[in-house]
Amino acid sequence: MSIDPITLEVLTQGLISIVREMRATVCRTASSVAIYDAKDFSCGLFAPDSQVVAQSEDIGSHVVPLPWSVRSAMEKLGHDLKPGDVILSNDPYTGGTHLNDVTVIFPVFQDGRLIFFPAVRAHWADVGGMVPGSMSGKATEIYQEGVRIPPIKIQEGGRFNEAALDLLLSNMRVPEERLGDLQASLASCRVAEKRIHELCRRYGVDLLLEAVRLDLDRSEARMRACIAGLPDGTYRFEDYLETYMGGRFEPLLLPLALTVAGDRMTADFTGASPQVPFPVNSTAAVTAASVFIAVKSIFDPAAPLNQGSFRPIEVNAPPGSIVNVQRPAPAGSHGEIRKRVIATMVGALSQVVPDRVAGDLCRTSFHNLIGGLDAKRGREWVHYEWSAGGNGAFRESDGPSAMATIDWGDLVTVQSSEVIETRMPLVVETSRLATDSGGAGTTRGGLSMQRSMRVLAADSRYSLLSDGAVVPAFGVLGGLSGVPVGSWIENGGVIQGFDTPGKIAGHPVGNGDVVVVRSAGGGGYGDPLLRDPARVADDVREGYVSREAAHDLYGVALDARGAADPVATEALRRRQRAARFGLAAVLVEDAYEAGAVSRRRICRIHPRDAAAAGLEADDVVEMDARLAAPLRAWLRIDPAVAPGTLPIDALGLAILKVDAGARLEVRRVATVVPPQARFAEAAE
Amino acid sequence: MHWLGVDVGGTFTDLVLFERASGRLRVLKTPSTPHDQSEGILAGVARLAVGPAGLERIVHGTTVATNTALEGDGARLAVVTTAGHRDVLVVGRGNRMAMYNIKAPPNRPLVPRSRCHEVRERLGVDGAVAIELDEAGVAAVGRRLAEDGIEAVAVCYLHSYANPDHERRSAAILSAILPDAVVTTSAEVLPEYREYERFSTTALNAYVAPRMRRYLGELRHRLATAGIRAPLSIMTSNGGTLPADRVEAMPVLSMLSGPAAGVIAASHVGAAAGFPDVITCDMGGTSTDVCLVRGGEFSMTTEGRVGAFPVKIRQIDINTIGAGGGSIAAVATGGFLTVGPRSAKAFPGPACFGRGGLEPTVTDANLALGRLGTDRLLGGEIRLDREAALAAVARLGAEIGLSPERMAEGILRIAVVSMAGAIKEVSVMRGIDPRDFALLPYGGAGPLQAAAIADELGMRTVVVPPMPGNFSAFGLLVADVRRDLVRTRVAAVDDLSAADVRAMLAGLLEAGEAELASADFPPERRRFAASLDMRYAGQSFELSVPVATDIDDLAALVTAFEAVYVARYGGTTTAPVEIVSYRIAAWGLSDKPALPPLEGEGRSLASAALGTRPVVFDGETRPVPILDRERLPVGETVAGPAIIEEDGSSTVVPPGWSATLDRIGCLVLRRGEGDAP
Repeated sequence: MSIDPITLEVLTQGLISIVREMRATVCRTASSVAIYDAKDFSCGLFAPDSQVVAQSEDIGSHVVPLPWSVRSAMEKLGHDLKPGDVILSNDPYTGGTHLNDVTVIFPVFQDGRLIFFPAVRAHWADVGGMVPGSMSGKATEIYQEGVRIPPIKIQEGGRFNEAALDLLLSNMRVPEERLGDLQASLASCRVAEKRIHELCRRYGVDLLLEAVRLDLDRSEARMRACIAGLPDGTYRFEDYLETYMGGRFEPLLLPLALTVAGDRMTADFTGASPQVPFPVNSTAAVTAASVFIAVKSIFDPAAPLNQGSFRPIEVNAPPGSIVNVQRPAPAGSHGEIRKRVIATMVGALSQVVPDRVAGDLCRTSFHNLIGGLDAKRGREWVHYEWSAGGNGAFRESDGPSAMATIDWGDLVTVQSSEVIETRMPLVVETSRLATDSGGAGTTRGGLSMQRSMRVLAADSRYSLLSDGAVVPAFGVLGGLSGVPVGSWIENGGVIQGFDTPGKIAGHPVGNGDVVVVRSAGGGGYGDPLLRDPARVADDVREGYVSREAAHDLYGVALDARGAADPVATEALRRRQRAARFGLAAVLVEDAYEAGAVSRRRICRIHPRDAAAAGLEADDVVEMDARLAAPLRAWLRIDPAVAPGTLPIDALGLAILKVDAGARLEVRRVATVVPPQARFAEAAE
Repeated sequence: MHWLGVDVGGTFTDLVLFERASGRLRVLKTPSTPHDQSEGILAGVARLAVGPAGLERIVHGTTVATNTALEGDGARLAVVTTAGHRDVLVVGRGNRMAMYNIKAPPNRPLVPRSRCHEVRERLGVDGAVAIELDEAGVAAVGRRLAEDGIEAVAVCYLHSYANPDHERRSAAILSAILPDAVVTTSAEVLPEYREYERFSTTALNAYVAPRMRRYLGELRHRLATAGIRAPLSIMTSNGGTLPADRVEAMPVLSMLSGPAAGVIAASHVGAAAGFPDVITCDMGGTSTDVCLVRGGEFSMTTEGRVGAFPVKIRQIDINTIGAGGGSIAAVATGGFLTVGPRSAKAFPGPACFGRGGLEPTVTDANLALGRLGTDRLLGGEIRLDREAALAAVARLGAEIGLSPERMAEGILRIAVVSMAGAIKEVSVMRGIDPRDFALLPYGGAGPLQAAAIADELGMRTVVVPPMPGNFSAFGLLVADVRRDLVRTRVAAVDDLSAADVRAMLAGLLEAGEAELASADFPPERRRFAASLDMRYAGQSFELSVPVATDIDDLAALVTAFEAVYVARYGGTTTAPVEIVSYRIAAWGLSDKPALPPLEGEGRSLASAALGTRPVVFDGETRPVPILDRERLPVGETVAGPAIIEEDGSSTVVPPGWSATLDRIGCLVLRRGEGDAP
């Protein structure tokens, strides 16, 4: 069957328009505020082989993993689907994200033939479990996170499976609202069914399916052309997620081997940390989707999103690891794995196409909760704060400050102070970008958002479920790290930090205490000593960079009027470049140290070198040749290491794009935010 | 005595003159003069040759405010704000404008951070003073601004909607130090909560104000020099007009000046022609504006934007897409065919303008297919080169293996699908069936595509109004004076009495009365409508609920809210209901010109016939009759295919459609039975 390019375009747009109408229908009819207000849902059209055919303005974190749920549903129920059947599922272990994301899959038939699945994934406000809202940082098993729904037929022949529905709703809070959410997804799919039938009547089902085939094929061709432009090879990177095992910090290793072969790409996460009994793990679907989001964002952001783009990409996530969680480990916090998978992709691709990547994004979803019982109004209150951090810098531009990252669609992340104060017993005392929080570089990483909120209620509590509080966003090509996320409590000039940065559960907050939260900064791009001194002076004038940082990190000497002094700057930069601390790389077999569950990279240096560089044991450091992204490690001081040398394994050398003998810079990564450092000093 | 409507666009200045004595309407198009729009206006007025004393009223649609904001060449602006909150405008809402793009650049703020100054002061949610205003601090900031050569200042404090005192006192101090600067406060521009949106609206107002002041000064001067004393009013974004001096003080009200006038004209003409339910489609060179009008009422929104900046002023809900006559067709890697959003703009313009444009546009496709003729000058100015259009279309067709005719039809098809998409967004996406509406196209290019857009949506009727090329200028003459007033005070309905609600509305009514009195409207010509923005507690958006200004039953209010909620979202919840903001719309009713009935003399199908031209429909070239709209007889039906031409526009009547001129000059196109796609 032949199809002309005009009809192909019209049908492609027609299918995207159907998804838009699905979105509008969900917005109009859902019951959960998170769905119609925060737009925490996604729609898509799928082919019977579970390939996504059309999407619109949906949140990448949701929509890109959807095909896995469709595939699981088809494997289980595909042999026996009839018109009027509807599938329901939320099971992370079979293609889901977390239990709150409930998916309706709706088979559409034409002339007795299954042609499409419209599907809606929506965040239900509650699916049962140990806490209202179902997501808890304290969950150690999935059973605490709500009801697991494997793919089941919730409707058969157009009639509800009353037993199943009754059972499910009986295990959720506010069941009438959940029924409303389910009805909204069904209404949305029915609209899609009607529109699909209209397209079939007008153009014929065969022409429509042929258009779909061609549309997927041309997206695939476009992506293959992108990948074919990359040199063949395997590119590696490694990064960490953060947890505390029995109160002790434990970084969880996430290694990536990204292989480019011709016009295909394979992302292999073999060696990832085993899954842990905390909500850090995520599913294979989320992992693969995150690889796709990274590839799309780096290579082809403008193309319409369909499965064709992802066909040339394979993902290997070992079962039982943090990137492919298995029963019964919890899966509630999928945002952290997503952001870290994207970071490893950026790190690996920085070795191949440094011009196309950016410094690391702001690292985490940064879920802050402040709440308690408002005695004056006699009700519970919870303020949920998720200010975005800085994005990474890239060749052409500084990174955007406090802006949603590439996996978050167009989500609003900065809430109105006036609205917060209207609803909560809180006063937002300051809401500002944090000076010097963006990673220094030839282009600068975006700044983080810092908010101080005074609590005007007794017996409140503060919780934080976050990552990136110890290991911050990295820069590339010699760009420096952004600041890690941080939070602390202030009252009357006394600053109180936390023993487990990033993971805080129900810390008591007194009436009048100020909770300060700071999101992460974005990574820098390129050597800060190469930044145009006039732009550094601009940044100082605008308050993005302090005078001290301009001097210490950028080597820029400012005159009394705040302009860069060219002669003094040149001299200062020459001195700073000469003073950079470096060691000669020596090849060793093993560069890791085992922890309770995972392992971490170690940077072992001689005591004299440590003293010269001002480094201490257990510091988080980065080793860097300024040719790609740097490599993070924990410092060990070891008299057995030859002075002036840095033992490193072959993998580490490959990541840094150097051979043994090369000189590697070693620098400390700022792992704690300054107020906590001040607090620590005061305590001593 | 005459009334004059003047709508200034990027390329042309459109004038419509209503001669009250004869009831006659005269139209004129003249080139715009972007360096100073008033020059083009006076040139047009001179060509109309109605002596200075003949003008009784001038209503003006202007793009000065919008262009100043979009082109970023407004005033040297500073913001003075509450200590701790200098970054409200710099950060915005932390959302991403470019999905999936790892290289999304930072948003460019309207004011650099270094010109956002903090002052010690603080109000609570209820407007109570938590920290007294530091007047010495304001004066110190004022002196810095003076040194910095600041031309405009936006004073934006938290919770000022609840208590404007700190802002007012600060503005007085700053005005004394900076006598030549425009000083605007957020409470006077938009006393509504959500600081980013309020600050943004206020900052935009201050940013464009000095330029607007200069422009209106120049226009008044030119009018006075020409001896014209007629009062001047300006079209505002809510579809009403205001005296020019009001808009000079509050230019942010005029961001949608021109497009709003078109919608007013459409609702007026649609109703007069017996089509109170219309979807408007204003197709210009680079974009197309659509708006839904039901029962003569257009929908309103407070979600407007100018570029990346929110404008929370209540305005007509117009949906704009980047596809118009000048939109360029191109093929991207992988064979994706696109039309727009890239545009050939006025320069070089479409290939057929012969100014060096080589890529085919929608206008070129119309010309290549014979839908557009070469006999008339576009806008009385530009001669069209059909060979250049054909060559551009043929080049693109060769890239993807299509004949020039198929390519040209394809370009139009894709443009039509995206325009239909814009209409779906304001109709089907809101649960409204566009087939219950007539399509009302205007703008020079609207009537060319209208029937095809209607086909795409299953709509059966197209109403092409008289003077489609000058339609917005006509709308200026049929608009009432209108001012929308708002104030936020968040409270649960359960915590309020009907007297509380009436008191809030009374304050706004008083302001509305004063506004209308200053525009010389006697009480019998004043109209008011009240509405409340309401929601369930916990939600972060509101629905507008119309209420009586003398409301006395809050239980009925909750029921009314629930009805609006069910209509929009299907069900209700058990959460308490809150009132967030109070609104009054105040109208001063103007006299309006009626469309005069057409005279029958000299009108007949024979006299309208201009011959035939080869035109392509569905891949087939055939001779198609060309008719002169000015000579068409009233009430007789022309069967498609046909092209009906007039100065400034052409209407395509495709095969399967027919056209009838009604008694007030609307060309009503109807699709025949059984031809539904």
